[in-house]
Amino acid sequence: MTTKLPRLAFRNIFRNLRRSILSAVAISVSALSIVMLFGLLDGMEIDMANNLQSYYTGEVRIRNVDYEKYERYNPLHLGVDWEAIAPILMDNPSVESATARISFPANMYIGENSQVVMGVGADFSTEEAFIDFPAILKEGRLPEQGKNEMLIGSAMARELNLSIGDKVTMLTTTAARGSNAITLQVVGIATFPVGSLNTNMFWAPLDRMQYFLRMEGLSQEILVLLKDGAKESLVAQEIHDEISQSLGIETDTRSWKDLNIMYSMLRIMKVAYYFVAIFFFLLGSTVIINTTMMVIFERMREIGTLSALGMQGSELTKLFLLEGFFISVIGSGVGVIIGMIGNYYLSKVGINFTDAMSGIDLEVSSIFYPQVNILKSFFIWLYAVVISSLATFIPSRRASKIEPVEALRYV
Amino acid sequence: MKFIITLAFKNLSRYKRRTSITAVAIAVGLMMYLLVDSILIGAENESMRNLRWYETASARIHAPSYWEDRMLFPMESSIENPDAVLALLDENGWKATARTVFTADMILYSEDFGEDGNMNVLVTAIDPETDNDVFHFSDTLIDGRFLEKGDENGILIGSWFAEDINAKVGYWITLVARGNGGFYEAMDMQIVGILNCPNPNVNRTLLMMDKDTAGYYLGMNQAVTEIDVLLPEHEDIDVEMAKIQAKIEASHLDLEVHSWKELAKDYLAIAEAKRGGTSMILFLVFIIAAVGISNTMLMAMYERTRELGMMRAMGMSDNNIRLAFLIEAGGIGFIGAVFGIVLGLLANLYMVNVGIDFGWMMRDLDMGYRIQSVFRGAWSMSSFIEAFVAGIGLSMIVAWIPISRALKMDIPSCLRHQ
Amino acid sequence: MCKHDKSKKHLLFPLLLLLVFLPSNLSAVSAEEIIQKMDELATFETSYSTGSIQTKDRFGTKTSTFNAWSQGESDSLIEFTSTAERGQKILRTKGSLYLFYPDAEELIRLQGAALRQSMLGSDISYEDMTEEKNTLDNYKAVLEGTEAFKDTMCYVITLTATTRSVAYPVQKLWIDTENYLVWKAQYSTAQGRLLKEMEVLSTLEAGGRVIASETRIEDKMKRDSHTYMRLDSLEVNPVLDKKIFTLENLTW
Repeated sequence: MTTKLPRLAFRNIFRNLRRSILSAVAISVSALSIVMLFGLLDGMEIDMANNLQSYYTGEVRIRNVDYEKYERYNPLHLGVDWEAIAPILMDNPSVESATARISFPANMYIGENSQVVMGVGADFSTEEAFIDFPAILKEGRLPEQGKNEMLIGSAMARELNLSIGDKVTMLTTTAARGSNAITLQVVGIATFPVGSLNTNMFWAPLDRMQYFLRMEGLSQEILVLLKDGAKESLVAQEIHDEISQSLGIETDTRSWKDLNIMYSMLRIMKVAYYFVAIFFFLLGSTVIINTTMMVIFERMREIGTLSALGMQGSELTKLFLLEGFFISVIGSGVGVIIGMIGNYYLSKVGINFTDAMSGIDLEVSSIFYPQVNILKSFFIWLYAVVISSLATFIPSRRASKIEPVEALRYV
Repeated sequence: MKFIITLAFKNLSRYKRRTSITAVAIAVGLMMYLLVDSILIGAENESMRNLRWYETASARIHAPSYWEDRMLFPMESSIENPDAVLALLDENGWKATARTVFTADMILYSEDFGEDGNMNVLVTAIDPETDNDVFHFSDTLIDGRFLEKGDENGILIGSWFAEDINAKVGYWITLVARGNGGFYEAMDMQIVGILNCPNPNVNRTLLMMDKDTAGYYLGMNQAVTEIDVLLPEHEDIDVEMAKIQAKIEASHLDLEVHSWKELAKDYLAIAEAKRGGTSMILFLVFIIAAVGISNTMLMAMYERTRELGMMRAMGMSDNNIRLAFLIEAGGIGFIGAVFGIVLGLLANLYMVNVGIDFGWMMRDLDMGYRIQSVFRGAWSMSSFIEAFVAGIGLSMIVAWIPISRALKMDIPSCLRHQ
Repeated sequence: MCKHDKSKKHLLFPLLLLLVFLPSNLSAVSAEEIIQKMDELATFETSYSTGSIQTKDRFGTKTSTFNAWSQGESDSLIEFTSTAERGQKILRTKGSLYLFYPDAEELIRLQGAALRQSMLGSDISYEDMTEEKNTLDNYKAVLEGTEAFKDTMCYVITLTATTRSVAYPVQKLWIDTENYLVWKAQYSTAQGRLLKEMEVLSTLEAGGRVIASETRIEDKMKRDSHTYMRLDSLEVNPVLDKKIFTLENLTW
């Protein structure tokens, strides 16, 4: 009899197909939702990490060793020698790309009014690896080397009423700790994915900013992206040592994870979202348990018949367990696969909230790209199988214990 | 009709197990939806609230020329007679407090800080007696004491700021500021307390002293740079703003009111973008809950096909049968929804008042800061109503399908139905 | 530089505290008279000078050199010649201060609180440059007595502000009893907290006057922060083109 159990259980699935389908649907929707939730959360996390890396820290950031100590004084004279460090970075096998930036606060004068903004001097050819400028560029073009041009955020353009071709004068403190002003022409307007970038930042060619800020050949920081699989903190240490060996200068070279509060914020966000995930699991579990229990209870008469025919309690339990197991394997498998396909599709297309927010005067791009994670999906599949098998266990054990006569009377 | 209702209710109590499992499915689904909704709204409200509690208040009153130069914190554009404005607001039931915000050069001494230094800072001078009516700083004190009225040397500092400059309670600093008119003034201040403000922007820069002391040193003659107003959270901010503006104008005061939404425009833009993600999550929760509810309901109804066949065989009209079953489904939905709401209410009571402390998860996280580590929920009346209606409505709509199918079948098939 | 302006005007020397005095008799004894003399003697028709400003702060020392022209009570122009700020100009006309930068296509006009910013990171603010020399309008003067400062007999005068619109509520001046040169000045808050201190290190003679050629200004609130002002040459009453002090001319 025992050897026949799996076959019997399998046949039972098809005997009441509708019930099995309902049960499988419950399991698969739960699994699907959780897979999609994780995809969404991973997407958000990667989005945030990408923004951090593209706009703030890279994967490894190199600064003058004293810069951080005096950061609040905006000590541009504490720069790093980009021209000397670039070849060292290019020789490191783990380095994918690197770019030099100078970030500085400036006063922007428009007519009689002035406004505090952040300027970024950047080499747009090396920035390509960090920022997808063509994708965010809304109007105009990128500033060109050697020209007094700039790219501004769309929110800034709107608020200050600036359009392509307008000229604006910036006043700031230079690395020589004197003041200097330069007039830059708006040649491009871009929509940056982070609010503050969009409202108060301008991007200008590195060489002009080096001249303007009296820091020829220097940059305020160097951002580095690594090849896939490289361990950020190890490579950071490696780069640090290489620079100190060949140039004899100490630098503040750290991986973005060791770097700042922003990464910690990211992790807090993650914890918050995993709490939501726990609720998903709980809810999914109740749905699965409920449906499975319902299925078993509705089959009391069948149980009675089987035990009247002489099937033993443990065999009955096993039979129902097996049936639940088969259903959950299929249901959960279908759910996870659909979820993964959905995530894969969304990871290409993105979930665009821009339409939903079109009524609001906002130009923050709001596209998330959910991620496909095979390991997590497998875990979710396993979870759904275990939960629904367990859920079968309770009522089927109870069913196996009741008297056949009672079970037969069961409505 | 009475018979049908009685029948439906009798059926509800007859099949106790079925009713309870289905009701539980509904209750748990609704509760989870309510909880997730509460957490998501709570997280958003919390950041908005932190903004209002520690940064902007609900609305801020300025002298008309202040707004344009607000980045420079112009002392010259001040409110000359804050007491009159405060009295006016008080008469009309608005809580308000006066503040003077000024920039200063903060001098640090090596005796305390180990190194001499100076930096530009923003100082907020508050009225220690009324500031807590509008803001919530006194709750965030983690070391030392809060300011007292007329505190002559006491200054409070945000905890992140304190960590940055290595400041401790008892340390002395000097603030060099320009008084009203432009004269130099130096104030020797002792750090008397450290505030851990949950609003990171504030915690990184906060310096707070007594308003009367600052007013005396800076030659303000009772004038202040701003009056911050607290508006009840449930009121429509724009309506209230208009009311305040009208009152001010009626009293011939030349002042402007700005809402926190204007004061924190950038911040709100980011929050708006985040909302997209949370609505997606909420949607997914709703889907699972809905599937859970409809699944159990479908099953509960399919299993009753035989009973339905019997009723038809006995000559009950299709419409009456349909009605009886729908009422039954609605009854289950109602029971489930009530339980769901009660469970959600209880769970939410806990979430709102106690919250989930995830500080233990943060232990290995080298933050260096004791950041707000408690998630709290929020009350949303509309979510509860939505959940209640959805619970009942969904049950009845879902029940419709198997009932209609059974009614289309011929009676013998119904009776043979497994 | 063509016409000579004959009208007698007060010169406000552009760079802060370089006060110029003619030798005079010692009959002035009341504090008001001494201060009046001090202000009166700060009188030029025109001037042309070259010099440097050396600033020391927590990051080290830097030097900027300049050429300066002045005319009358309110007009002055400074042009920087050192590498880091070559070509930058500061124009002061009645009531306004304009900054010209070679790479900027428009002038930046400073007013109000913006004038409080430090010039070139030194201990001198733009506002110190625009200070009006009508001392007695804003201050009450009290003669404390006489005191020797570096072997020179000086009147010691305390000025207390009568208005809030001046930067320093209390000033204590050491004024040479013979040539009315201010050898030393202490600037304090109303409570008597010392903020800045100025001391003349050496003098030169030009146009028959003794004026400070090297001055040290210290910000007493910051340790290791001081500014040296050095005057390399001073031409008194040269013939200047009036156009020097116009906005149109600022961009040459």
